Amino acid sequence: MLTRGERTSHKWRRRPDGPDKVTGALRYLTDMSLPGMLHGKVLRSAEPHAFVLDIRTAKAERVPGVAAVITHLDVPGLNRFGIVNPDQPVLCEDRVRYVGDAIAAVAADTKETAEYALSLIEVDYEPIPVVDDPELALLPESPKLHEGGNVLHRTSYRKGEPEDAFAGCTHIVEGTYYTPRQMHAYMETEGGLFVPEADGRLTVYAATQHGYKDRMQLSRILGIPEEAIRIVSSPIGGSFGGKDELNVQPYGALLARKAGIPVKLHNSRRESVRAGLKRHPMKIVMKTGIDGEGRLIAHEARITADTGAYSTLGAPVLNFATEHASGPYRIPHVSIEGVSVFTNNGVSGEFRGFGGNQAIFAVESQMNRLAELAGMDPWEFRRLNLREPDDPGPLGQRILPSAGLLKAWQSIADSEVWSRRTRKPTESEPWIKRGVGAALAMHGSGLGYGIPDPGGGRLSLTKEGKLEAAFSFEEFGQGITATLELMLMERFGCGADDLSIVIGDTDRVPHTGSSTASRSTTIAHIALSKLHPQLSERLIAGASAMAGVAAERLMTGPGGIWIKPDDDSGSSLAATYKELAETLGGELAFETKFDFPVTPDPIVGGHYLYTCAAVAVEAEINTLTGAVRLLAKHHAVAAGPAVNPMGYIGQIEGASVMAQGFTLTEDALMLDGHYKTENLDNYIVPTIRDVADDFTLHAIEELPEGDPYGPRGIGEVGSVALAPAIAMAVRDAVGKWVNRLPIPREELIESFASQLAGKTEGAGAT
Amino acid sequence: MNPYTWRAVVNGAEAELHVQPAERLLTILRDDLGLTGTKVSCELGRCGSCIVHMDGRPVNACLVMAYQCNGASITTIEGLAEGDLHKVQEAFLEEGGFQCGYCTPGMIMSVKALLDETPNPTTDQIKEGLSGNICRCTGYGGILRAVKRCGGNASK
Repeated sequence: MLTRGERTSHKWRRRPDGPDKVTGALRYLTDMSLPGMLHGKVLRSAEPHAFVLDIRTAKAERVPGVAAVITHLDVPGLNRFGIVNPDQPVLCEDRVRYVGDAIAAVAADTKETAEYALSLIEVDYEPIPVVDDPELALLPESPKLHEGGNVLHRTSYRKGEPEDAFAGCTHIVEGTYYTPRQMHAYMETEGGLFVPEADGRLTVYAATQHGYKDRMQLSRILGIPEEAIRIVSSPIGGSFGGKDELNVQPYGALLARKAGIPVKLHNSRRESVRAGLKRHPMKIVMKTGIDGEGRLIAHEARITADTGAYSTLGAPVLNFATEHASGPYRIPHVSIEGVSVFTNNGVSGEFRGFGGNQAIFAVESQMNRLAELAGMDPWEFRRLNLREPDDPGPLGQRILPSAGLLKAWQSIADSEVWSRRTRKPTESEPWIKRGVGAALAMHGSGLGYGIPDPGGGRLSLTKEGKLEAAFSFEEFGQGITATLELMLMERFGCGADDLSIVIGDTDRVPHTGSSTASRSTTIAHIALSKLHPQLSERLIAGASAMAGVAAERLMTGPGGIWIKPDDDSGSSLAATYKELAETLGGELAFETKFDFPVTPDPIVGGHYLYTCAAVAVEAEINTLTGAVRLLAKHHAVAAGPAVNPMGYIGQIEGASVMAQGFTLTEDALMLDGHYKTENLDNYIVPTIRDVADDFTLHAIEELPEGDPYGPRGIGEVGSVALAPAIAMAVRDAVGKWVNRLPIPREELIESFASQLAGKTEGAGAT
Repeated sequence: MNPYTWRAVVNGAEAELHVQPAERLLTILRDDLGLTGTKVSCELGRCGSCIVHMDGRPVNACLVMAYQCNGASITTIEGLAEGDLHKVQEAFLEEGGFQCGYCTPGMIMSVKALLDETPNPTTDQIKEGLSGNICRCTGYGGILRAVKRCGGNASK
């Protein structure tokens, strides 16, 4: 089990960003300020769907203290943004499609002045009927949000003849599953500081998960070269996918350039809820059939995703959901179809798990029901149907064979939590019911086939004599700086104070892609595996010349290059890194570029590397209140070596509790295109009270022999399988099937009288 | 200039400002005094990111107005440690009690308040004491370990 203990002690390290975080000394980008800076505010649409007939800003412009007011007329370049397909207006011209659409923005000497000026901007709307149901949005008579209609994207995957195959099935389960509009709820809302520099460049201090992508998008909007923009994007107070797309950056940049003065923007929580991304709510209809022995024969899935008003990453999210809708099983006949639909319900986009969470909830719930129909133990049922390592991937593509799936399955089978399924303790009160459930998943890493996914890195000896690693990653809490530090210390045998780690600044790092899709750790591993021998060899050659010692007798270590002892005399220092830097007279740098590993088969979005995971959970249901309390969790994760155990444990614990919110309490409710949950008082994020006291993490660290890809990302996989495990536990405890998340409490409530009666009957029946 | 004078002792030093009587302590700390260690998140007293101590008791700085804390002694995260790190800060570092770190100042101020009142809290007492602080990253595991390291009992 991965715990803080002997096994991990040599790698259990305080994070390099820790001291500044626990003392409050760390300046987040929203903590920054400059003398004389302006405060920016954005006017968001009052209507979820309307034509904009007129925008009048004259009164706002006359307010003393207002330095700049902008509308669509002030956008010099492309008045659109969007990572894949730029279709979201920076500032709306003639139409709004959700309540977060921006219409105007103001920069003023104080926040209050900016807010007052905003209130004086007059907008004439002509409402259009609100499209708030993706299925209705698909009807021909529904108003169209975009020129191309209301369909953002369709997917389809097929193998075999599922329609015919169902005829031969012994048991068929049909289920419809609904998942919530989960909010990232990062504690730091969007914002930053936008500084027009004396040399005409613009510096953007604002959170993102892909600095170079922000630079490209802002360049397009501002109509200036990318090189004229510097993006500083770390540190970040949480993201979980939510800050991957542009948010306030266009407004800060436009205002700062118009006013010629630095501008600060920082969303209030309400602004963040209103404008920010959410997880795609999905309706997933599944039909799955087995033969008399319990073997999966045919599987159909129909996914409808509510993508909201604009594209952002809605299409790739649907691709991912499609890929993950048949689970890690051998099924000869499969048909999966997905559609991602534009509505006036906010904007759905990237979120930890990336569409896998929804699909895995549905497909694992199907497995639970089928096992029961077959009269089988649900875990044995999965074992019977498990894919083999050499089987093609879920879209028929070649994937890297791995024994991780079976090991994750075995971990649950052997777990203490799962063993309690058959020997349940007696409940203290008749209305308290206990149950145990589990679920299994494999989850793709990287962006997938056909999507540019550049990686790389730079490793150098700086003029100051530091070993410096530079990547275009961002630190939003996941601990990438700690992981890089550990990777470098292991390779060079050096100390932390020999290192310099540079991330999150487009002026200082090479383009190594985004900090998303559980890809950074793998990219760093591959890059350092290429670069470390190159730099190390040059350092040793340099030291060899300086000290007159053969290179074979030298090695890198703490502070510099050491002479290996040829007897018991101990090693001695041949040259410090600083001396080497001085002798070499300048920076010694090595850079590499490569793409994240993808499947060789041309299946768009198809993954090559997968992380396998399973979770077992014990839950207690109070049938008087419908509350579900988690007592114990056992997570098994097969992701290769745990480079950074503190980070690894933290990622799984954190993802698990986030998934608990997805399952039990979290939903950004909307009515007629308006948010009803506007802040953290009624959008219910789990607190420390909701944590299961018993938590076990089994890290399965073996990799296939000769594996060149190293540790797999673990940022997402802890969040993908908990919901169906809880659903199984609920079934176990109270005999009810859950098909909607968050689990509606009212479905679990039973009258007290019926329970007392049930207890008597139950006693007779068993 | 605002006619209202606000005086307080902030992290041991006397502070005097001319502010609106209804100005929030959160704004005074972050914008007027530059103490950005106190964080801003929900601004309605739910998340605990802005917790500071007012006369030794934890308060959400977003809910306290200038006139309500006039004359008070305020301690923020910047004023917690005297010299080296406070033992709570050490424990958070050692046990991984934070990730993005944005909830951390408020969380640590809540832990400090909890331990001041209950030096050896049970798990239930820890959970009660920290239920006003939301952390979105850690799943609270590292936080529980950190508090237990500071003196909490693992038993109920």
